[in-house]
Amino acid sequence: MHILLVNLLSFALFAQSVGPAPGRVVTVDLPKTPGTGEMVWIELKVGIIERGAEIEIMTTAGQSLGVISPFGIRSGDKAGTYTVPLPPDAISNDRVKLRLILNQYGHAKRAPTAKEVKGIRLKITRAVL
Amino acid sequence: MLKTKFGFTRRHFLTTTIAAAVGAAARPLRVEAAPAEAKYTRYNVMSEGGKKALESYARGIEAMLKLPADNPQNWFRNAFLHLMDCPHGNWWFYVWHRGFLGHFEQTIRNLSGDATFAIPYWDWTTFPQIPDPMFDGVLNPDDKSFEPYTRNLAVFTSSFRPALTSYFNSLTSEQRAQLNARGYTDIDAIWNDVTGYDPRQSSPHGVSGNMAYAIACGSCYLTRDNPKLDEKTAYNVSPFVALSGLLPTDFYNPVMQLSFNSSKTPSHNTQPGQNSFSVIEGMAHNKVHNYIGGVGPLDPGPYGYMTNFLSPVDPLFFLHHANMDRLWDVWTRKQKRLNQAYLPSGQDLETLSNEPFLFYVDGNGNPVGTSRAGDYFSTERFEYDYEPGFGEQVVNPPTVRLMEKRVRPSIRGVVRGNTATLTVPTDAIKEHLAAERGASLIAQVTLPHPSAASVDREFDVIVGAPPDVTEVGADSPYYAGTIAFFGKMMSMEGMAADATFSVPLPKAPQAFRGLAATNNTQLNIRILPAQGHGQKAPTLKALSIRAL
Repeated sequence: MHILLVNLLSFALFAQSVGPAPGRVVTVDLPKTPGTGEMVWIELKVGIIERGAEIEIMTTAGQSLGVISPFGIRSGDKAGTYTVPLPPDAISNDRVKLRLILNQYGHAKRAPTAKEVKGIRLKITRAVL
Repeated sequence: MLKTKFGFTRRHFLTTTIAAAVGAAARPLRVEAAPAEAKYTRYNVMSEGGKKALESYARGIEAMLKLPADNPQNWFRNAFLHLMDCPHGNWWFYVWHRGFLGHFEQTIRNLSGDATFAIPYWDWTTFPQIPDPMFDGVLNPDDKSFEPYTRNLAVFTSSFRPALTSYFNSLTSEQRAQLNARGYTDIDAIWNDVTGYDPRQSSPHGVSGNMAYAIACGSCYLTRDNPKLDEKTAYNVSPFVALSGLLPTDFYNPVMQLSFNSSKTPSHNTQPGQNSFSVIEGMAHNKVHNYIGGVGPLDPGPYGYMTNFLSPVDPLFFLHHANMDRLWDVWTRKQKRLNQAYLPSGQDLETLSNEPFLFYVDGNGNPVGTSRAGDYFSTERFEYDYEPGFGEQVVNPPTVRLMEKRVRPSIRGVVRGNTATLTVPTDAIKEHLAAERGASLIAQVTLPHPSAASVDREFDVIVGAPPDVTEVGADSPYYAGTIAFFGKMMSMEGMAADATFSVPLPKAPQAFRGLAATNNTQLNIRILPAQGHGQKAPTLKALSIRAL
């Protein structure tokens, strides 16, 4: 399995305005159209978030793509970088529109800050099973 | 790799759901043969074997709960081993937990009196809810048997801190060095993770969510009446995510999409933070832990045991991690099938293998002493295998490779009653017979749904059999597999009247006895009731063959 292409988003720069739904919408263009047997992945770099807080990843159409739920991270430590597979049907016209939501007790669902989600990138790899 | 006791037959494999069968190329499961048969089998907790194992597990837990706090096999002391030594978010995650589970399994074997005991696994992908028996008696951390120790934090502290302090003071310098790397420079630092007290805060205070201790009545968020993983957790363990996590072809790769394991770190005690998580650990493992402990519904804590590092207090921990270990075994066998490495090489292998694991306790309650990660790479260390569960399909010929192969046009058969006759290129048959792995000739068999009153729900597909053959076993050279209808037979809204199954043709030369010297060969395929004589053969709706 070889990595083919990477598209990196500097989160703070590319974050777009928030619509009526909670969270932050980011749009990422795929560097190429994924071919047969290729897989697209989201890589999310998570900074310091409160204990019990989670980062939810959705498409803007409301399709859930996964939840980052840090385990065993002490308070005040960065949560680490997580890899999430992206279903092909979440891609439209070689573009992905994602909504990132931070769920935290005592707060309404909200957009994560640039310190809480420090970066997001898409990667395309050739998949072999 | 141990030889499995689960040598799947094609008959078994093709017994599947309609949804799974339609449009998918069914392939027989192939589990690699090996020199020795596994002595123990870890069963799916929902199977009969799994339920039997739970009875022994409960006896073992009861015995461990009754041991004094200074006994290393005491139930809670065993959980402290995890708190003090477990790796997460690094490439020792799977191998350390294999050692932890293996030694624990020996303890339960000894204390339960069941010499055949092996930890059952919870296959959350196929069953995304806590198995019902886990709410019975001591299998549930809410049970009254735990209460004498977990009634409140003061009771818990008086029960275990003195014994843990004595243990801490008896540790070797090598053990202390490992704990220092973890931030456990003294017993207070360890106990801070029990109580949630955080001295690093600008104004030091307790953080409820960090408390590894859980009060008896709050030890697990889910209940018998509310056993299901929520939809987000269920997604994180879904077939799509789990299969994606099995895709990587490297044990470790700094590019995490190519890596089955999480980050390479200086030691197994390096805590997550800067690390990268591989898919199955980062998504499935973490979310299951947290949701069962109540992250979300119980925010901001305190949570149940599963959310923090005393998670082995909840007996479900071992079923969860048996499933994680099973997925590593599946991935390893997939790598072997692809003739690809399943461990790193060179200096990386040396570094990985030589990492000392110093805290394990064996099945007799004695310290294991210095063992190394390399001691636990294989399941042979503890002589077990797994009853097959979700993911086993990746051990078979690759879906993607099949997709990448040249696909020839479909050949449609002439159907009459239960028989189809087809004209197949002779070269395609020869290629099929010569293929090293799997079948290259796949039949698409269309049958009507049996009626609600029908007792015939399974049908054998036979190829090239003489007319007097009216019943076959799975070992027949003509046997291609059994089509099985699953679920209710009555008409359901939206359900098609017919169902199509993909069946790979057998590779026995006898099934193709009429192989012609000319370009094309006539092939005869029949459908028979799988239950044998006296039942009516179904009428075929259509049958075609595609050569991949």
